[in-house]
Amino acid sequence: MISSPLVIEPLFHVGPVPITAPVVVTWGIMVALGGGCWLATRHLKLVPGRGQALLETVVSAIDSQIADTMQVNPAPYRALIGTIFLYVLCANWISLIPGLEPPTAHLETDAALALIVFVATLAYGVRARGLGGYLKTFAEPTWVMIPLNVVEQITRTFSLVVRLFGNIMSGVFVIGIILSLAGLLVPIPLMALDLLTGAVQAYIFAVLATVFIGAAVSEGEAPAPAVPPDPSAQQER
Amino acid sequence: MQIDWWTLGLQAINVLVLVFILARFLFRPVVALMAERQAAATRDLEAARAARAAAEAERTKAAAETAAIAAARTEKVDAALAEGEARKAALLAAARSEADGLRAAAEADIAHVRARAEAAVDDRASRLAVDIAARLLAQLPDDTRVAAFIDGLCAGLAALPEEARASLAVAEEPLQLKAARALSTEEEAICRQKIAAALGHDVTLALSVDPNLIAGLELTAPHAIVRNSWRAALDRILTELTHDGR
Repeated sequence: MISSPLVIEPLFHVGPVPITAPVVVTWGIMVALGGGCWLATRHLKLVPGRGQALLETVVSAIDSQIADTMQVNPAPYRALIGTIFLYVLCANWISLIPGLEPPTAHLETDAALALIVFVATLAYGVRARGLGGYLKTFAEPTWVMIPLNVVEQITRTFSLVVRLFGNIMSGVFVIGIILSLAGLLVPIPLMALDLLTGAVQAYIFAVLATVFIGAAVSEGEAPAPAVPPDPSAQQER
Repeated sequence: MQIDWWTLGLQAINVLVLVFILARFLFRPVVALMAERQAAATRDLEAARAARAAAEAERTKAAAETAAIAAARTEKVDAALAEGEARKAALLAAARSEADGLRAAAEADIAHVRARAEAAVDDRASRLAVDIAARLLAQLPDDTRVAAFIDGLCAGLAALPEEARASLAVAEEPLQLKAARALSTEEEAICRQKIAAALGHDVTLALSVDPNLIAGLELTAPHAIVRNSWRAALDRILTELTHDGR
């Protein structure tokens, strides 16, 4: 039975640090993703197999999404945006494994992700425009908007947190309630719906992060080059 | 609402570590490979483009060489045709000239042979006619072969120019009188009388017989001959026939 999502109990302690379930699950995801990618990219070939073609398709889709959204070269943002998307997707879908709970169903994970996006937005904005140039964007279109722009920065970060947390937590919560009330197979349609919700939320979180970062750097970088061609299409050529 | 700040911090660190891991083991190698593939494709395209350009150049060069070869061939063929035509014309002219010469020679030979054949035929025909005439005349009376010709001989003497008749009169040698047969004394006297009358003075006659005359008389002087015989007539006719036939 799932306990309250607002309460998180440590599984164990490492010194003074409490280690909770979302952290352990995240470690598992990190091991799985990192190990899988290491295994998958050990023997890359110019003529890709199915697995390599899938990897290249994912990377190309991420690059294409970043370039379309930010209109800049996607290379500096690929690792952050792509990792956020893949991690959130895996975290959302981890509930398919019995006994595991999505880390994104806990506020701390979503807050950590949003915090990273917030800091990355500031960092990329300052790097692209310079500190003064970036701070000037808060006074656009007029200095009167400075408080509102500051508040917007904070609230949109909170909206990231709340959107992801609410959607995933609610899904987990609903499934737990139905599972406690109905038979074993009844929650399956809702779990399938959770898969869709999880994928959509991962995409939304990644796209919003891209939009935020893109808004911060939009006037400071050169336009994006042509999006790398689809590997499968390249293979056909 | 309660937030576990330790968990928040650990999750942030975890995500950052995951960013590093994926950048190191996923994005970087995949992007590098895609860039390498794109570079290889670009390289291959460039190589293909260069190869195509080289092939185009080779094809153009080959086309130019082919055109040059074709032009040279046409030129040589034209020259050979012209030379052949010239040789043909020369051979034809020589052959025509030789043929004309041969034909002219053949025609000349044919004309010569034909003329000789015609002359022979004419001669045979004339001789045959003379023989026929001689055989027919042989059937005439014997005195007719002389008497009938005396007047004609005298007329021939009378038709001579005066100088010729005078030369006959002053001749020292006797005049030769040929007859187809031997004359009788009476016929000799008549001949002597009529010849003297035709010349205007007496003459000395030396009589002789020439059967070839067939019929008639011939008077021969050193500078003149007066014939009135069939032989002379037939010879004249034969001559006229022979000349007319030619």
